[in-house]
Formats: sequence, structure tokens, C-alpha cells
Amino acid sequence: MRNGAAAAMLVGVLCGTVGCFVVMRGTALLAESVAHGVLPGVAVAVLLTAGTSGEPDKAAILCGALAGGVLTAAGSAFILRRTRLREDTATAVMFVFMLALGVVLISRVEGFAVDLTSFLFGDVLSVPDWEVALTLGLTAAVLATLWALYRPFVLVSFDRRRAASLGVPVERTELALMVLLAVAVVVGFTVVGALLVLGLLIAPPAAAALLTKRLPAMMAVSAAIAAASGPLGLLVSWHFEVAAGASIALVAVAAFAVTAVLRPTP
Amino acid sequence: MSAILTTRDLTVRYGDVVALEAIDLEVPRGSSIAVLGPNGSGKSTLFATAVGLTEPAVGAVTVGTDRVAYLPQQIAVEPMFPATVSDVVAMGRWGALGWRRRMSDHDRVLVAGAMTTLAVDHLARRRLGELSGGQRQRALLAQVAAQDAELLLLDEPFTGVDRPTEDTVRKLIDAWRDEGRTVMVATHDLARASRDYDLVLALNRRLIAFGPAAETCTEEVLAATFAGHVARIGGLLIETEHRHPGAG
Repeated sequence: MRNGAAAAMLVGVLCGTVGCFVVMRGTALLAESVAHGVLPGVAVAVLLTAGTSGEPDKAAILCGALAGGVLTAAGSAFILRRTRLREDTATAVMFVFMLALGVVLISRVEGFAVDLTSFLFGDVLSVPDWEVALTLGLTAAVLATLWALYRPFVLVSFDRRRAASLGVPVERTELALMVLLAVAVVVGFTVVGALLVLGLLIAPPAAAALLTKRLPAMMAVSAAIAAASGPLGLLVSWHFEVAAGASIALVAVAAFAVTAVLRPTP
Repeated sequence: MSAILTTRDLTVRYGDVVALEAIDLEVPRGSSIAVLGPNGSGKSTLFATAVGLTEPAVGAVTVGTDRVAYLPQQIAVEPMFPATVSDVVAMGRWGALGWRRRMSDHDRVLVAGAMTTLAVDHLARRRLGELSGGQRQRALLAQVAAQDAELLLLDEPFTGVDRPTEDTVRKLIDAWRDEGRTVMVATHDLARASRDYDLVLALNRRLIAFGPAAETCTEEVLAATFAGHVARIGGLLIETEHRHPGAG
């Protein structure tokens, strides 16, 4: 339980911070698409590493998931540029493709129903020490990247054209943001699962957006709400004997609901 | 004096659509230029290509400075975008500061001066998305002013602003030109283009004319630029419809 709480808090900080850019840029559907797009990467990793023992390599799963997430985001951007369809259409096409591909691939894995459950809903109560350390390392790396590239990230989120005229390499910066999103999703799905990681990416930043005017404050408040959702969600799960990952996501959304109701009308 | 913006046989396409065709242009430093043309004539494309947002299909564009400010048409700001007016104007300094250098006193003076000039200092703590359209445009112009650029590309900067703001921006354009900066302004105001700018560039996918207003703001040139949709009313030439040149 202690490892689970630590992992949940770290994932909260990570998703709560990266999620501010998701909310700011209006890319919630892309985030959801990435969360499901990790599945083919997971499936390939399981197929390649399960071997005779039947136990897939978890590090390979994380790498495969990251590759799947980045591919989903990059694929959406490619479709958008080539076809000039609306952004939600391009994103939805990749969403469906990657999810369907993942289900097809994972159906080749024996015992796939059990593996899929862990992937979809998280397994926060079984987090080993090495995974907490990895989560800490990845969270630190993402936060360091956000600190180093704060200005380009803010500028492309404000307006791509203004960003270009201020010297920002727009496409590379947007790719870097996509990679950070994919990392947040991959780290998040071990705790709350692919279906519910959006809860940590969207609800705490949305609550923070209602409480703050400026991005640094929004990121701090969002990270705090998301981090607190972890241990509070686990407490709810333990007390009511319900799913841990879903309880964490529910607490995060409840924080948004309370904020939306209690905040003074603008 | 060398040109600050040069294009050689510049052609830009969006798929099958030719946005600019075979443009040869040399923009002299320290001048103010009105860029005229109907909707779809390539004004925005010229600016976007100059800042590297769009790649030429044929030819080249050369910009003789790295201090370029580009104010696009219609920046859509999310109502809840987490930045105050003060934050937004300060972003104008980030190009010069790079990604990690802190703002100096000089930067703060530029930001404060820009906010005062565009009369948005009393809005400093307001979120940009809360402002009216005119206030937002003034804040964006203040961001451009704070950039301290050598070449300013303003795409229809007067859209949505009231008359006092329009006058302020015109005076700012003149002041920039007097300081030796080059200002290119895409506009539909033919009367002001012929009166308030050093040079006029007339575009309709191709370069129709470029030079002093006396040579370019003639009825013949403007009729060619606007495909005949120009009329003289009360002694003033005005564009009679905003139509895409291929719209028929």
C-alpha cells in the first residue's frame, strides 16, 4: 500500500503538471487517444517478451507503451497536416485505429483478459519498489524538461504563428510536448489504468484553471490536487472495498466538481 | 541600403492552390509598407513564409534580420488561457531572452512602455481571455511592440479596434518607421494605404505593383489587384467586395 500511495502521488504530480498543457491547448481528445494508443505497443511487448515463462517483461511493456503513445500523437498530427480535416476527426481516426490494432494484437496473447484488465484499470496495489523509483525518475525528468522548455511550450500553446516569429521551432516543440504527454500517460496507466488516466490529466488542471489566472500557479495547484487524489483515493478504495485506480480518478474529478460549484461566479 | 526582406521567384502552394506565384520583391529597410489585396491574394501567406511557417514551393525568401515580429490575423485566445495581460506582453521579450534568461530592467522597461503606449497597463492583472476583442488586440499589439523588432509584419492589425486605438497604432507605425524599423501592414483600407505609408505593395497571388503610393494606388493598378472590385466614392477609392480572386 505504501508503494501504491507513493506511486499515486508521483503520478499525480506528473499528470497534474503535464495536464495543464492538455487543458490549455484543448487537446483532451488527443490525450485520451494517446492513453488508448499505448495498447498496440503493450501488445507487441507482451508478444515479444512473454516467452516460455509466460511473464512479459514490464520494462519492455513500458517502452512499448511509450512507443505506441508517441506514434498515436504523431499519427494524428500527420493526418491533420495531410488532409486538413478538423483536429478532433484526425485524432479520433488514430484513436480507433490504435485501439483496434491493440485489441487484435493482444487477442493473440494467451490469458489476455487478465493482462488487459491490469492495463485498462491499473494495478496500484502491486507496485514494486523498482517501479516507484522509475516513476520518481520519469517524473523528475519530465518536470526538468517542462522547466527547461517552459517558454517554447507556452508560446506554441498561445499561438503557433507568434511562436514561430519569436524563434520557436514549432513542430519540434509540439513533438516534445507530445512525448511528455505520452510519458505521463504511460506512467499514469500503471496506477489508474489507460481508461482512467485522463481523470488525472484533465480534472486537476481544470480545477486549477478555475482557481488561478497564471500558468505557474495553475501547475502548482493542479499537481497538489492530483497528488492528493492518490492517497485519498486509496483511502476510499480501502474503506469501501472498491477498485483503487477508479477511486483515485473519482477523487480527482470530485475535486473539480467541488471547485466548480464553490468558486465565486466570475 | 540593403533590403530587409527579399523574395526571388517566390511561389507558395497549399496543395493544388497557388497562394503566391513568382514574387520578386525587395523591401527597403526603414520604410512603412501597406500590403493590399483581396482576401486570398497571398498577403498572410507572404508574412507566414517570411517567418518560416510556410515553405516555398519554388524560389526563396531572405530576411535580413532575426528580429522579426509577426502579428497574425485573428489570434484565437481560449477564455481560460492562464496568462494575464502582463504575462502576454512579457512573452514578446522571450525571443530576445531565449528560453531561460531572466528579464532584465531593460526588458521590463520595454514591456511597461509597450503597455502604456497601447493603454493596457490598467488591464495588467486581467486574464487575456476576459478582455473585449478590442482590448485583446491592443494587448497583442503591445506584445509585438515589446519585441523591439527590426521588421514588423502586421496582418490586419486594425480589425476590431476602436478609432482611438486605430490612431494610436498609426502613430506607433510612424514612430517605428522613424526609428529605422520596417513595418509591413496588410490592410483593406485603400484610402489610408495611399496616404499614410511610404510604399504600397499590391498583390493578387502575383505581384501587381510595388512602389510609392502615387505610382501604385492608381485606378488601373487597383482594378487589376481587386479584379475590378474597386470604386471611387466621394473622391476615395474603396474595395467594393472582399472576395477570393477565384470566386467568380
